[in-house]
Amino acid sequence: MRITIVGAGKLGYKLAEALSISSNDITMIDTNPVALERADSALDVLPLEGNGVELPILEQAGIKRSDLVIAVTGSDESNMLIAMMSKKLGCKKSIARVRNPEYANQSKFIREQLDVDFVANPELETAKAIAKYLLKGSALQMESFANGKVILSSFSVQNLPKVENQLIRDLDLPPSMLIAAISREGDIIIPDGSVRILPLDTLYIMGTRANVQAFTQEFGGAFRKEVARNVLILGGGKAGYYLASKLLQNGVKVKLIEQDEKRCQYLSENLKGALVIHGDGTDTSLLAEENIAEMDALVSLTGFDEENLLLALLGKQRGIPMVVPKVSRPNFVSVIEQLGIDRAVNPVSIMASEIMHFIQGGQIISMSMLLDGNAEALELAVNEDSPIAGRPLAEQDIPSGILIGVVVRDGKVMIPSGQTVIQPRDSVVVFCLHSKVAAVEKLFNHPKGGLLGELWHRYKGFGKPSLI
Amino acid sequence: MNYGIVTKVLGNLLLFETAAFALPLVVAIMHRGPDIGAFSYSILITAAVALPMSRLPRPKSDLRVKEALLIVALGWLLVSSFGSLPFLLSGSIPSAMDAFFESVSGLTTTGATIIDDIEQLPEGILFWRSFMHWLGGMGILVLALAVLPMAGVGGFHIFKAESPGPISDKLVPKLKDTAKILYTAYLGLTVIQGLLLYFGGMSVYDALLHTFGTVGTGGFSNYNDSIAAFDSSFLRMVIAVFMVAAGVNFSLYYALYQGNFRRMWRSDELKLYLLIIMTAALLITVSLQASNYGSVWERFQHAFFQASSFTTTTGYTTTDYEQWPEFAQSILFFLMFVGGSAGSTGGGIKVVRWLVAGKLIGYELRKILHPRAFVTLHVSGRAVPQETITGIVAFLFLYGMIFVVSSVVLSLLEGVPFISAASSAAATLGNIGPGFGVIGPGETYSHFTIPSKALMSLLMFLGRLELFTFFLLFTPAFWKQ
Repeated sequence: MRITIVGAGKLGYKLAEALSISSNDITMIDTNPVALERADSALDVLPLEGNGVELPILEQAGIKRSDLVIAVTGSDESNMLIAMMSKKLGCKKSIARVRNPEYANQSKFIREQLDVDFVANPELETAKAIAKYLLKGSALQMESFANGKVILSSFSVQNLPKVENQLIRDLDLPPSMLIAAISREGDIIIPDGSVRILPLDTLYIMGTRANVQAFTQEFGGAFRKEVARNVLILGGGKAGYYLASKLLQNGVKVKLIEQDEKRCQYLSENLKGALVIHGDGTDTSLLAEENIAEMDALVSLTGFDEENLLLALLGKQRGIPMVVPKVSRPNFVSVIEQLGIDRAVNPVSIMASEIMHFIQGGQIISMSMLLDGNAEALELAVNEDSPIAGRPLAEQDIPSGILIGVVVRDGKVMIPSGQTVIQPRDSVVVFCLHSKVAAVEKLFNHPKGGLLGELWHRYKGFGKPSLI
Repeated sequence: MNYGIVTKVLGNLLLFETAAFALPLVVAIMHRGPDIGAFSYSILITAAVALPMSRLPRPKSDLRVKEALLIVALGWLLVSSFGSLPFLLSGSIPSAMDAFFESVSGLTTTGATIIDDIEQLPEGILFWRSFMHWLGGMGILVLALAVLPMAGVGGFHIFKAESPGPISDKLVPKLKDTAKILYTAYLGLTVIQGLLLYFGGMSVYDALLHTFGTVGTGGFSNYNDSIAAFDSSFLRMVIAVFMVAAGVNFSLYYALYQGNFRRMWRSDELKLYLLIIMTAALLITVSLQASNYGSVWERFQHAFFQASSFTTTTGYTTTDYEQWPEFAQSILFFLMFVGGSAGSTGGGIKVVRWLVAGKLIGYELRKILHPRAFVTLHVSGRAVPQETITGIVAFLFLYGMIFVVSSVVLSLLEGVPFISAASSAAATLGNIGPGFGVIGPGETYSHFTIPSKALMSLLMFLGRLELFTFFLLFTPAFWKQ
């Protein structure tokens, strides 16, 4: 697929990284040479310096033959304009990032009348994810597959005290459930029975909803019964605004602290029922004044990652049951796990996941990016030609870093063993490292290209010639 | 420094060379030459070293800039070293230093030879010598990138370190596809020239060897008299035109293929490059008034050929230019410092660097007149970033320094006239081959002493890898963890 990404910021980079693995040709446009240089030296993409709103630049990027344009520059207006121009020039699909609440309300019009295929709003998605966490009392992160029959949840071991320091094989796990992966100090382990669970690990558990719930109840009540009633939001930016309005709709009491006076004015006009306080969120005396200890939840959404983390730690120390900081910089997952914060939200990861979801059609039924994009869970349909079908799993050469999680056959969920034979029309949820996505595709897709393609495929399997 | 990854990539590169030995082996077998054994043993020895290296487990981490630079520098060193095996084993070149020199000269597309009587060497050996030009011309690592998949993303650093010119850009998003496009253009030039030479009267073998020497801008011939061995104005002009074509930025051929004539037309470097060659050719033609060439057309042919040969750093000769007037000779001498275009197979300083340097002078002058003026330097309609300009200035300075120091050292070691020492330094550093005085047309590098040959081998590497890649290996900072 030919993809043009306009804007080489955090989200643009993340998307390029996620997309550049497969057989995609990616061109990145940005006005900032430094941002391009960063992408150029780490990813196999074609950098192009210039303003994506300019026709000659879009033409130079080969937009006419592009399959997809993703406009993620800093400006909503530019993004919409780029998406529209690209479609007019012959690009097949377009995605535009639109963050402004005023525009977000008319996203249906933008999609239908302005011909933008997908309107990405990271702040709104972030707010939705946080609201889900606060209101439904769900796990840290939850993805559902096979029409909701199978879920993949992550739990921090701190909430599951009974599994601490146990070997996986000694755990009495319910049937139809498995520990798909462990995240430990930033590394992802796809465990076998001999792995010991350590206190600061995060577990990724896959299985039927009932069984996962049974597991968490047995091992330590990670599914909270209570939901948040009093929420303190620090930072009244776009995400703060979206979250506050979502919570207010659900009858939650919201206290919002914002530094900028003008913004406070706007927020109090537009958020009916919220208590908007003008002040500095890092001012501990202000927090004490506002009864921080009485809150059920603290969400820190200021523009600074460090500030958000510090505030979350402060909240944790004051005994607030739920603290959620926003951390936009990638690759800090490991550090955050060590801090003992249940959940940090990363708008970039959330958005990248949503966009990838939109892009990946066809055989991949659904996918999620986990652990800041280092791992993925894919739900795949098996067909007659899939190389994986027809032989017991133990006899197949499945590369390491790939876990065949659950098999859904005729609506029934099962955990495969070495003897399991995957059949056509099954659907399979696979957990894998991001670097192995191509290998997973190979297991499920019959190699196309006739005899020569077949020979090449086999040849590749033998010698694997490569420069490294 | 991740030595595991460096060793593994180098092992794979040597395997690649092992495969390349198969071609001259076929030639040797076809001619039932005495060099069949030499190539067979070369294959065995190289494979014996390369296989264990390439079997190392795939390292976890990606390739970073440092490893990529080390791979390129050591890669060229190793491929040249193993490339000298056939010369040694066949007894064609008995001394190890000489064999190494010849091999380096081949791979770096210099075309400087230490063989006094080329014509008596076996066909396979001569084929290998010229084939090394072809491999080195577009870059052997870029070729490996085009053919073999590269795990991770470090490939771009390798590509940048190996391809000539101050800015190396990809043509298409995927590095592998970029390398393929470059090699397709290269192969295209090779095929067209090969056919033209063949139909112009050369044997298949001669046509192949001279094509390798031309499109790689190398300059090895299988005749002692170089191109003067063929008394045909057609062959002369074909080779001259293809030398010029090989010195053009190959990305322009891709633009041409895409129907983007405007890009070609807007290339300031191409215009200056052609202007330099044509001006030099015409000036020399005029200066040859008193010579004993038959017609003006023939004078122009030799002038154009020699001007192209020196500018593109090929080093083929059609005539003894040392008989030419001093004026013509001095033009040729200074053409040695021009070089081909960036992104071409030509060596030397490269036209685009001179272009930027020239514009920089204009820019400084304007700054003196209008101290508060804000000026940007444009080349081919694109603004040149400040770092690129600084890099070019540093390159020119370093190139000058190396030229001066090595000229002085060579005149000390050899005791030859200054013009001989200076042109030896310029001809090896610029990857040209022949020069003036003791290395004039018809002469060879055989009479140099071993230290001089070692120094000139180093100069050839420095020139081909554009100074910095190789220079870094000698700085302590590079080796610090």
